[in-house]
Amino acid sequence: MVDKLWFLIPELWLFAGVVVISVMGLCKARGIRNAVPLVVIGFLAVAFIITPLLYTDDRLAKVADGLLIPMLGKYVKMVVCAIGIVLTMLSIGLIDRPLEQAVASGRARFDPIRVSRGEYFVFFLLSLIGVMLVCNANDLIWLFLALELTSLPTYVMVAISRPSRKAQEAAVKYFFLGAMAASIFLYGLALLYGSTGTIVLTEMRDAFAEQAAAGGLNRLALVGMVLALLGVSYKIVAVPMHFYAADVYEGAASAVTAFLAFVPKTAGMLAIILLLMTVGWSGHLGPGVEGLPQPILITLWMICVLTMTLGNIGAMLQRSAKRLLAYSSIAHSGYMLIGVIAGPALGINAVLFYLLAYGVMNTAAFAVLGALERKGEEIESLDDLAGLRHRHPALAIVMAITALSLVGFPPLLGFLGKLYLFMAGVKAGHVALVLIALINSAISAWYYLRLLGLPMLAMPTPTSETIVSRPVIWPRVAALVTAIGVVGLPLIAGRLLSASEAVIQTDEVSPMVDQFDVSMADQPAEDQRAP
Amino acid sequence: MVGAERDVIAAANIFSVLAGYAALVPEPSAPIPIAETAAGMGWAGWILWLPAISTVMCGLCAALRVKNKLPAWITVGLLGSSFLMTLALWLQYDQPVVIHLLDWIVLGGDRWTFIANFSLYVDSLTLLWMLFVTGLGTLIALYASEYMEADVRGGYARFFAGISVFLFAMTALVMADNLLMLYLGWEGVGFASYWLIGYYYRKPSAVAAAKKAFIVNRIGDLGLALAIYLIWHNFGTVEYRALFEALDSGSYSAEAGGWSIKAIPYLLMLGAFGKSAQIPLYVWLPDAMEGPTPVSALIHAATMVTAGVFLVARMYPVFLLEPASLTVVAWIGGLTALLAATIAMAQHDIKRIFAYSTISQLGYMFMGLGMLSSVGAAYHVFTHAFFKAVLFLTAGVVMHGFAGQVDLRKVSGLRHLPGFRITSFTMLYACACLAGVPLITNGFWSKDAIMAQAFISTGPGFRALGVIAIITAFLTAYYAFRVWFRVCAGPVHFEAGEEQPDDDHAPEHGEFRPHAPRLAVNLVLIVITIGAVGSIFLKGWAGERIEDSTAAYYSPLAQGAGFWEDPHHWMPWVASAVGLLGIAVAGYFHLVNRKAADGLKNAMLANPATRWLPTAMENKWYVDELYHLMFRGPLWLGGHILNLFDRYIIDMAIVDGVARVPRLLGRGFQPLSNGILQSYAVSMAGGVALLGILVFLMPQLVDWLSRWMGGAG
Repeated sequence: MVDKLWFLIPELWLFAGVVVISVMGLCKARGIRNAVPLVVIGFLAVAFIITPLLYTDDRLAKVADGLLIPMLGKYVKMVVCAIGIVLTMLSIGLIDRPLEQAVASGRARFDPIRVSRGEYFVFFLLSLIGVMLVCNANDLIWLFLALELTSLPTYVMVAISRPSRKAQEAAVKYFFLGAMAASIFLYGLALLYGSTGTIVLTEMRDAFAEQAAAGGLNRLALVGMVLALLGVSYKIVAVPMHFYAADVYEGAASAVTAFLAFVPKTAGMLAIILLLMTVGWSGHLGPGVEGLPQPILITLWMICVLTMTLGNIGAMLQRSAKRLLAYSSIAHSGYMLIGVIAGPALGINAVLFYLLAYGVMNTAAFAVLGALERKGEEIESLDDLAGLRHRHPALAIVMAITALSLVGFPPLLGFLGKLYLFMAGVKAGHVALVLIALINSAISAWYYLRLLGLPMLAMPTPTSETIVSRPVIWPRVAALVTAIGVVGLPLIAGRLLSASEAVIQTDEVSPMVDQFDVSMADQPAEDQRAP
Repeated sequence: MVGAERDVIAAANIFSVLAGYAALVPEPSAPIPIAETAAGMGWAGWILWLPAISTVMCGLCAALRVKNKLPAWITVGLLGSSFLMTLALWLQYDQPVVIHLLDWIVLGGDRWTFIANFSLYVDSLTLLWMLFVTGLGTLIALYASEYMEADVRGGYARFFAGISVFLFAMTALVMADNLLMLYLGWEGVGFASYWLIGYYYRKPSAVAAAKKAFIVNRIGDLGLALAIYLIWHNFGTVEYRALFEALDSGSYSAEAGGWSIKAIPYLLMLGAFGKSAQIPLYVWLPDAMEGPTPVSALIHAATMVTAGVFLVARMYPVFLLEPASLTVVAWIGGLTALLAATIAMAQHDIKRIFAYSTISQLGYMFMGLGMLSSVGAAYHVFTHAFFKAVLFLTAGVVMHGFAGQVDLRKVSGLRHLPGFRITSFTMLYACACLAGVPLITNGFWSKDAIMAQAFISTGPGFRALGVIAIITAFLTAYYAFRVWFRVCAGPVHFEAGEEQPDDDHAPEHGEFRPHAPRLAVNLVLIVITIGAVGSIFLKGWAGERIEDSTAAYYSPLAQGAGFWEDPHHWMPWVASAVGLLGIAVAGYFHLVNRKAADGLKNAMLANPATRWLPTAMENKWYVDELYHLMFRGPLWLGGHILNLFDRYIIDMAIVDGVARVPRLLGRGFQPLSNGILQSYAVSMAGGVALLGILVFLMPQLVDWLSRWMGGAG
């Protein structure tokens, strides 16, 4: 038990942060209230630093049997903390702005009942803790609770992100549909329990192995798994659970939208990977043949194709930048499912890398939107971006770079992410899937290039002239940091990839570093592989 | 050093010493020296990185709007350090080495590999090139610090950033240990050249010239890229060491390899001819003179244009696989030399004359390479770098001093003007080098090593090439001294150019005052001229540079030692004679009796039988117009047809048609996202149900389909 707790130190540490900031948010002194986001950043930074120190080999050896993917936590927690820091920056100055302005000018008195900044960051951190806990899940209950810990705070965050009815409507929709998806997910888990008689993931793995050896998984397990996958599709915004995305993403403030597009999606992706790890990617279609059991494969295949295609087609029709990015978020989930279908080690590594890449790109795009406003309201329409270059050249360039990266333009981060995913797909034999993804990528250029062309090439319109940047500098810093990440991270892609490769190791010598190392790192490829 | 000593003695022995150089040859061909991997030489990488750092710093200066000479001093300092490190590398050099800097591209697995790292391949050929590239680069940057000072408030930092980029790319090109890095440098120098030719980007002619240089070079680059691919395809590597090991093993031959090996040297040649301005790709170089003069001196005379020669010398073993390709190199070189010299005779723009002379001299170098005199070619590259740099820099002084005046008819008697004495005499010496005045000029020694070889090597029509070379030498002497006698000698007379004079030397009382060069320019002129004098004695040294490099293919020997048997004996006399004759003719027409020149030209123009000659020469044999007709016209037409095709067939019919499909699909699905919670919930539940049914019916469906298909088939 102590050994398991050892790996929960980052979560426990962040939970300590939750306690601290919930108190700080209610302080009378304005300085302390304003310091809340910085304290959040501090806690996340410390968690980022201590995580790699905790994952030592001897500690891992003690829990190795209890977890399906023991090393998952190290990579995911570091990525979540790093992106969490940028997302915090993006949220600075967002909550309680009118109230704080009134207090600062003396028009109103501070009233602890009316402030919600502390709560916002409490929920923010709790949601991040949820993702981190998913990595440590060793049974279905833990997995479900961790997923819900990720999602539940986001419902509140959507509601309090802006003082408008749109946000509240979005939160209600998000909550109800989320509850429905969770029930489908739980139903699937119940069937899985019924089929295997255990809720412990490692024991389920053994039970499934026995079933597979005895001639295939039993029907109960298959139905359960399909339902669980469909239920968790809600978290990753995949078809058919994607309907809420556009409305909710549009309703929430940009900072929260960026959060929604990364945090629950990461949790959902990890949950899918963990669930599928119990089934395994081999031995179902005959001894020695790679591949998921057929019904599961068909489910994922259809989800993947529909998600990519509907996401991209939906995005083409949007006039609102946030809705466009919402559909783009759907499409990117579809791309990631290719890696899931391809399976370990290449596919899962590619998904983990893509989660990081998508987190950075997506945050960059929303950071640009979040850094701009008109009369205190965030901008939404694509037309507002027209001619951005003339007024805010740096933000326009960030948007342009991000759009190129989202299309998958070499040598930016998005290109590498897609490259690894598609390579994994091809190596696993899913050429048709990769072809569909390529066609989808081409379609996606249609609308991403608008994000490039409008800010950089179009002339400002009378409406877009009135746009100003938010008074706090932090959203712009977040935009800059993520843009640097989009351009700079490919330079250390070799290292990032080896970090994600360390998560799942197999005996075969096939990691990408051997096969397709285009790394620009200065070390020989052999040294990059983690022990 | 042995070589240099021998040279001193040899110089005393006058001509007969040349036979000694021919006798330096032990056997017709030697194995390619294989480089070793050097450890602990990583510092040599700074030769490459310093110019890159200089680029970044100049870029920063531009971004911070520095309005003083800081960029120049940064560039001169860092390039100078790079030169000193090259010197240090040369001093401790004893055998070819590969210095690994960092991994760049490592692809492949068991069956194939593609490795291109940032590594340096240092053999004496590399060192020969690096010494003059970094040395002259530093000096010309110093010259430019004064020459460009009118732009201190404008593009000064941009200019020096361009020079630094060029030096970085050229260093990468020369020191690369693989063809891909060479290609990187190759494109890099092309880009730097484009950048600097178009430096005066407000001038339409400069922009056009920059584009022309870039586009013509692309044609050559295509050849180089294809050659690199074929080399990788045939030899499985682009690294020099592995390539030369493979060639040395003797298991490759052009016959066995078929066309894909035979094509390599011709494609390499295309690249070399593009970069080094040879027929048919020479047309960009004269126009490149639109750039600032230091750029012309550094990039378009001394260093970059010799990259093609370097490529051929570096890839000599590949050329030797298909000896016929060397004959082509020799002939193209010879014909280019003659053609460019005839054009140079009839031009009035000093810089253009020197540009054509560069093309012509590069022709000599290729002729030397093609006739298996790689020593002669490399030595000529080396000497030419010095005297051509001086010629351009002095032309720059004229331009700078007379407000952009480059017409040799409008400036005269420069040597009598105060402040222009150093310019006149360094230019005199450089012209003498170009003309090949016997004994005291480096051009004399390097050029006739090549010309004599024409009469020794056996190849189709090499004797005729030798005659062409001799005629060209006469023409060269004529046009070189035509410039000097016109501009520096004779009565003092000048007209200012069209450039707006700066505040510093604005015309007082409406009269134009020439702007004499100051310390930096004069210093650089003197130093490079001293270098040119010094290089007279470096023939043996330059020969040694070749010996243990990949270009070490020893020239064939003369078939006897007597005066008439060995062309190395009589060629100096012939060369001296034609050189002096050329100078004498130039002296008569352009110094003693200037009216006679115009009279002759008018007489020829008046006579319908001879009218074509001066006209064609002045109009550069109408090659630009021919290319225009042959390539640009059809391309223009084709472009417009394709444009129509693109607009109406591709865009309207196909693209818009295809794009309509997903959009229509989208419109079809749009009613589903109507914002109503209940309908979302129903859609989601329905989706789950639908997918569930499909998933569990799919196997049966697939089964049924396959049975039906099987039944049908």
